[in-house]
Amino acid sequence: MKWKCRYLSQYITILAAVQGLIMLLLVVGCIMASQQAAWPMLLTVTLVLQIGLCFVIYLWIIRPYRQAERMVSLFLEGYSLSSLDNRSMSLSPASARLTEYVKEELNANRLLKLSKRQAQYRALQNQINPHFLYNTLESIRSEALVAGLDSVADMTEALAVFFRYTISKVENLVTVEEELQNCETYFAIQQYRFGPRLRLQIDCDPEDKEEIYRCRIPKLTLQPILENGIIHGTEFKIGAGKLRVKLERTEKLLTILVSDDGVGMGEAALAQLNEQLDKSGRAFQEDKEEHTGGVALVNVNNRIHLLFGEEYGLHVFSIPMVGTDVRITLPIITSNRELMQSEVIS
Amino acid sequence: MKEEVLRMDRIACMEQGVMELNHFCLDIDAGEIVGLIPINDTGLPTLLRLLRQNLPIHYGYVYYRGKLVNHWQESDLSYNRIAVIESRSGLADDLTVADNVFVLRQGFKKHIIRRKVLNRQLEPFLRETGVDLSADTCARDLSIFPRFVTELVKAVVAGCRLIVLMEPGSVISDARLDTLQQILRHYANEGFSFLYVSRHYEEARQICTRAAIMVNGQIAKVVDTADTPPEMLQCFGVEAYTQMVRRQERGHPTSEATPALALAGIRYGCIKGLDLVVTAGECVVLQDLNNHILNDLITLLSSRQKPASGILTVGGHPLTWSRRREIAVIQQQPTQTMLFPELSYMDNLCFTLDHRMPAIWRRAAPRTSIQRELGPSLGPQVFDCPVEELSPKEKYDLVYTRVLLQRPRVAICVQPFMRADVEQRMQIWQLMERLLGKGISVVILAVNLADSLALADRLVRVRDGCVQAVYTREDFASLPASAPWHNFWVGNDKREAAEFPKS
Repeated sequence: MKWKCRYLSQYITILAAVQGLIMLLLVVGCIMASQQAAWPMLLTVTLVLQIGLCFVIYLWIIRPYRQAERMVSLFLEGYSLSSLDNRSMSLSPASARLTEYVKEELNANRLLKLSKRQAQYRALQNQINPHFLYNTLESIRSEALVAGLDSVADMTEALAVFFRYTISKVENLVTVEEELQNCETYFAIQQYRFGPRLRLQIDCDPEDKEEIYRCRIPKLTLQPILENGIIHGTEFKIGAGKLRVKLERTEKLLTILVSDDGVGMGEAALAQLNEQLDKSGRAFQEDKEEHTGGVALVNVNNRIHLLFGEEYGLHVFSIPMVGTDVRITLPIITSNRELMQSEVIS
Repeated sequence: MKEEVLRMDRIACMEQGVMELNHFCLDIDAGEIVGLIPINDTGLPTLLRLLRQNLPIHYGYVYYRGKLVNHWQESDLSYNRIAVIESRSGLADDLTVADNVFVLRQGFKKHIIRRKVLNRQLEPFLRETGVDLSADTCARDLSIFPRFVTELVKAVVAGCRLIVLMEPGSVISDARLDTLQQILRHYANEGFSFLYVSRHYEEARQICTRAAIMVNGQIAKVVDTADTPPEMLQCFGVEAYTQMVRRQERGHPTSEATPALALAGIRYGCIKGLDLVVTAGECVVLQDLNNHILNDLITLLSSRQKPASGILTVGGHPLTWSRRREIAVIQQQPTQTMLFPELSYMDNLCFTLDHRMPAIWRRAAPRTSIQRELGPSLGPQVFDCPVEELSPKEKYDLVYTRVLLQRPRVAICVQPFMRADVEQRMQIWQLMERLLGKGISVVILAVNLADSLALADRLVRVRDGCVQAVYTREDFASLPASAPWHNFWVGNDKREAAEFPKS
């Protein structure tokens, strides 16, 4: 079996002992060397051993130490949660226990549940009895139909469908098609408010449409972003607003671009929002429920990070008075088998 | 299904403690030509370095051809097969085109090079480009456009699926740029991808389907060029610059009495009978459509050589060595080419003052006087600062103030806006206005019009060494629509210009 130290402190002890032996060799050599001719050889051997020791110190101590230091600093900056898992070596048994403790505190499943709760928070405020809500909406619809108010009936129906999807379907992942349907329902409700001022366009390459629509994505990924686009983008815009959902896929990646042609945001606000998204670890560490802005985006981003890893997630692009794009990158998951391969979900 | 060639995801990269790239996201698919419009220079050199080599990054992920090649946890310093073609040659000067394309290729292991075989192998590639180029031509003898094409072919042969073109529009003439764009489209159809870096959205729009607007090291937005007219991008300081251009008066006051500069039937090198008259205080843009004559013209105007035939006069007198200071040549990228780091700021400033003040180097009094006079405008601290440590703005001030002190009749500006970001363009613009305000004629030598046109009183187009066409400001609207600020010259925008009277 290959022997390997677990802690840097063990390496330090071993290398200190080796250094001691080298010094001892030098001292003993000095005492023993009676002839002048033996000195160069003694010095050469000591020098070679010393250089070798320096090399080993670099490989075993300095490099892992720097790596560990960088990972911890990135974790503290909020960039990454996974960096703690990737630490190849701990400084000492006590620091290893400390890391384990922090990892336990930041347990992915726990965070995922917390994040899901945050995502559904607003929608679940009235979840004391969802059936009561559906029944009430159905009653309103019936009354509206009897009174000949078709638009009220349609609106009530759309609201019921929206709530049913949001509250009742509790799976982690849904198909893109289901999520898009929910977006269209949400958009239909908003259109009662905005009328023809607001338009929604869904673009997808016809060749890839079937495959893309079968892909699984976290529930309530698109609707909060669409809502953001309406509230922060097009609502403040003078004139008509257009929302666009563009779906593309590569071999391994599903990219969804939610765009609005609203008021956009300045460079500083954009950088701040992307900072929040990139440093999603910070949101978990601080266990924040309230942010300065972009709550929905941060929440969706956190769920994606927890479900699929930090290489996926959200990014925002924006130019003032041109519009905002939210790009969502996700892995291609089309079947339940692929779904179960995800450690967090299983 | 799209094929991903490059994906840079949430890149944060620091250099010397400064965050050069932050939240940087860019993706390019196979067969796509994507524009990159840097509003300023922040992060652009870092981006090029990261494309070429997988250097350590602070955070983020780089995927090339679907494979994760660099990420924040591990950077293996390996090189990516991504070619970058710049205004500076990337070819070995002493080798032929064929040698550059094949012999310098990674993985070329033959010990005996058979020139005929190489030439034969290169022939189909050159035929594809449609450019008349001999495989035996030495790289040193190539002008800019054939060199660009050679580097392009070299990248294609080397298997680079992504090729970055750095501001081709600033060094290649309009006609050749069209040919280059046709070549790019041809290779894009074959699956090669391009990142087309240009300071001008209008230029990128001609060829790119999408353009990424880069500001302060982050991509602000990726726009569909078909849906996004240039007017929509009037932000990030571009607006101020646009307004400055629109406020431009209809020409500069000129004196017809004596021409400041006159070239009559000049022949030298590639110049074949060039006629040009520039009046005092006039701004003329001389656009070389073939990019052949600029070097020869600079040689003549710097008094380094005499023309083979024809007459070259300055202020009515033939240009001689003793009158050389009557023409000031401001080279392209003057902050890099016209400053002497080993000299002090003051020495750099007074470098061309000897004809006006012969005692300038012997006596300290004139220099003290100059420092006192210019201190308030240049900033008193710059005089004690090593030239290398000056900011780009201070360097531009130094170069142009030197010319102002020299007080020539004519200032020749070689591609003055080349590689300048929006802020620098505004500064250069103002500095040239100062020259014109002092009655100094400005001749802008350009291969591509870029920003020069809006400042010009006249545009002189030169092809094959002689004048092809002359446009006055009234004729600028008849220029091709791809000309920068073209909208300014056509009807609607002329009316808009009236709304911004010069204060």
